[in-house]
Amino acid sequence: MAGGAADCQFWETWLNTQCRLHELRNKERISVAAASKILANLTYSYKGAGLSMGTMICGYTKREGPAIFYVDSDGERLQGDLFCVGSGQTFAYGVLDKNYKWELTVEEALDLGKRSILAATHRDAYSGGSVNLYHVTEQGWVYHGNYDVGTELWDAKDREQSFNHIVTSIPS
Amino acid sequence: MPGLGFDNYKRNQYLADHGVPMPTATSTGTTIVGCRFNGGVVIAADTRATAGDIVADKNCEKLHRISPNIWCAGAGTAADTEMVTQLESSNVELHALSTGRQPRVVAVLTHLKQHLFKYQGHIGAYLIVAGVDPTGPKLFSIHAHGSTDVGFYLSLGSGSMAAMAVLESRWKKDLTKEEAMQLCADAIESGIWNDLGSGSNVDMCVMEQDKPAKMYRNYRKPNERAQKEKSYRFPRGTTAVLAQSVRSLVDVIETTPQSMEVDA
Amino acid sequence: MAGKDCIAIACDLRLGMQSVGVSSNFEKIFEYDSVYLGLTGLATDVITLSEEFRMKHNMYKMREERRMEPDTFANLVSSSLYEKRFGPYFVGPIVAGLNSKTGKPFICGFDLIGAIDFAKDFIVAGTATDQLYGMCESLWEPDLEPEDLFETISQALLNAQDRDALSGWGAVVYIITKDKVVKRLLKTRQD
Repeated sequence: MAGGAADCQFWETWLNTQCRLHELRNKERISVAAASKILANLTYSYKGAGLSMGTMICGYTKREGPAIFYVDSDGERLQGDLFCVGSGQTFAYGVLDKNYKWELTVEEALDLGKRSILAATHRDAYSGGSVNLYHVTEQGWVYHGNYDVGTELWDAKDREQSFNHIVTSIPS
Repeated sequence: MPGLGFDNYKRNQYLADHGVPMPTATSTGTTIVGCRFNGGVVIAADTRATAGDIVADKNCEKLHRISPNIWCAGAGTAADTEMVTQLESSNVELHALSTGRQPRVVAVLTHLKQHLFKYQGHIGAYLIVAGVDPTGPKLFSIHAHGSTDVGFYLSLGSGSMAAMAVLESRWKKDLTKEEAMQLCADAIESGIWNDLGSGSNVDMCVMEQDKPAKMYRNYRKPNERAQKEKSYRFPRGTTAVLAQSVRSLVDVIETTPQSMEVDA
Repeated sequence: MAGKDCIAIACDLRLGMQSVGVSSNFEKIFEYDSVYLGLTGLATDVITLSEEFRMKHNMYKMREERRMEPDTFANLVSSSLYEKRFGPYFVGPIVAGLNSKTGKPFICGFDLIGAIDFAKDFIVAGTATDQLYGMCESLWEPDLEPEDLFETISQALLNAQDRDALSGWGAVVYIITKDKVVKRLLKTRQD
């Protein structure tokens, strides 16, 4: 979720309702494609009315395997393996593009996701606070914790000798 | 170098057009009043300075000295009232020196209004000029565009209506000095309480014929802050420090004791 | 901030273009002998003015053959800014120092066209002005010793900048007493 907090919050709970109704009507979980299309159709119908949303709809189904759809308030809907959304997206892409490969293990993927957000929170004034990590599996999502950027960034700096532009001493 | 520069004007216009917000200048929201009495004149002001809806200064000085016996209360853009008044003060002194006469309030008035008119209101100074000179006690007001008024009692600033309400209902001819001071202080207090742009304390200046003018800084303090009930002092070492450097401001001179003689 | 026979001045280290942080080592405090100037606002103006004041300060020293007092420097800043009344520099300056004769703390702030705000307690400036007013108004108390003043000003700045998207990325604090100046680099959040 990125953009207008109220828009995202409202329409994503609404989307959740639609997905549940689909499940009740068809006795089957909705596909990621279908779910994302419901939202995309909705945003398109409101095009020009001033909605502000940038979303990623992620899921894992038998039929589709792991899938990510990017849906925004312009009505755009894209499928892909990798997306970053929001005011800090460019910074996250920077880290993600450099290190991403399909063969990533779950642990590696979680670390990379966290590291990308860390980079974004650092450079982007409007991103920050903490990182939430989720792993989406066929069984549902698994929460992998909340990480405070305040400490996480200094840890990363120490661990991997990165973020070297941050000054830690007073030049004489 | 001299005068007021427009060097950055085009750049700032460009910046403004491209959505860079213009920083807010402090203005003296202000209630100021002036009132004549038998044998003199008194002016008074509140002490609040604002930047937008923030109180920038809780105890600023809005009473400016132009010459020892001519004082001026200022409302409007803080920098403008301060600077226009300093400039006038300097010119008045030079004028007094070159003519060998005591400065006159009408001369100050004329000079200020001509200056402000020249700038067509862009210098946002709204002033109450008062003083005593060889021709007697005088009280005037000047608006930013250069117009002037004469009066026995005057008020200016965002709190001028609140103050004028008091002045209109209580002013009478031949006030005594004490009555005039009381009236002015009450008029300012009316501004302090009823106008959001005014607040804090009352400053006052009394100018009497053949006497040195008397400035009463914080003549009334109806808004004194109560002692805080709790201290929010942090234990030393609370803040994490990455590095520290020390610059010593004292010259450390190492002296070795001059040859000490010991009797054998 | 003013304390007991001492003053403190602090700033963050961020230089940014809108949302993008560009530098995390952009100090906004400048030393002119023992007078300290904090300059917030448009970076180009911060640099231009800091150098103009450096020059004016040096000229004064040479002509007068003595050091400039903080209140004198404040008037220099004020008149320099008012010189550009109708095309101002986009800055929010603050001046701090100890009077070399009396040892009295002196702090003051300005708007962008040079109106001086003399204060006995604290002065704030910049994008986190509102937050800083809130912090200082509650944390500050009279007659703090240098070490306590350090904690107070640091916590005021740190907590204010964490509530401002455009401030942060490090912070420095100067604690100025009559015989030494201590500069400390604070450990801050980096987001």
